[in-house]
Amino acid sequence: MSALSARDGLRRLTVAQGEMKVSDERDVVLTTVLGSCVAACFYDPVAQIGGINHYLLADGNASDPASMQRYGVYAMEVLINAMLARGAARSRMRTRIFGGATMRAGFRDIGGANIAFARQFLRDERIALVGEDVGGTQARRVEFRAAVGLARCRSVVDTAPPPIVVRAPPPPPAAVGDVEFF
Amino acid sequence: MTEFAPREPLTVAKTIMTVDDSPSMRMLLRVALTDLGYSVVEAEDGVHALEKLDGFQPDLLITDINMPRMDGFGLIAEVRGQGRRSLPILVLTTESSDEKKQRARDAGATGWIVKPFHPEKLAAAIRRVLH
Repeated sequence: MSALSARDGLRRLTVAQGEMKVSDERDVVLTTVLGSCVAACFYDPVAQIGGINHYLLADGNASDPASMQRYGVYAMEVLINAMLARGAARSRMRTRIFGGATMRAGFRDIGGANIAFARQFLRDERIALVGEDVGGTQARRVEFRAAVGLARCRSVVDTAPPPIVVRAPPPPPAAVGDVEFF
Repeated sequence: MTEFAPREPLTVAKTIMTVDDSPSMRMLLRVALTDLGYSVVEAEDGVHALEKLDGFQPDLLITDINMPRMDGFGLIAEVRGQGRRSLPILVLTTESSDEKKQRARDAGATGWIVKPFHPEKLAAAIRRVLH
């Protein structure tokens, strides 16, 4: 979905849960709304290309931690690979993370688990985490000018947060773990 | 008849080399494969894998495709070019295009697994090529 804002002339592309987008176009803003989900914005200042994902690893049923890890690593790897394919270098990548709010008191801390995964992943992969706006109790709208590396995050007040899909994170286009022998 | 020492293992764990530039993915594979009873040797790209394969023969190679220095296609071609025809090679990647599968097939890969891997499907694929 794309919308041209009369206000600033920038094209806005929406990133839904389970999706990722990469752009090197200076007039493109990648935007997403987050509740418990986390979005990681990656940027390579030399290649002037960036990308954002939007993932939900945990659900309300105490997901298997190993399964969460596999989906989380997948969500990150797909985005990183898409950037590498367009000229980015892993060693130059800078990342900001957003989201991970606690949207419903009394429930398991889904947002916290999503934040913890992102921080651990970036530490393990030695990718710089240069900023974050995470936690709290309010939904957020993230706008990311990927080609410029500018990210803006605002609380979404008096608006219903995006619904939490109470099941495993969206699978990749191909069947998960499918095996094909040659 | 020779008796086994009581504490001597009756079998030797088969060795799987995993090749992936992501430390997180190598860790996930290490945990999954050691849980299945395999011994794991890791490399972070094709060049690193070839260095480790010098004088060493694993029972199975599992490789990513998108890696720096030497990608999975290059690694498979090099390994087959060294005459290692019997070494099974499984590709484990986020890619799923027919064109890339064909490239892997042409290079000499044994099979293709789409990430994120499902532990039981991975175990079944390994059993099929190792046993």
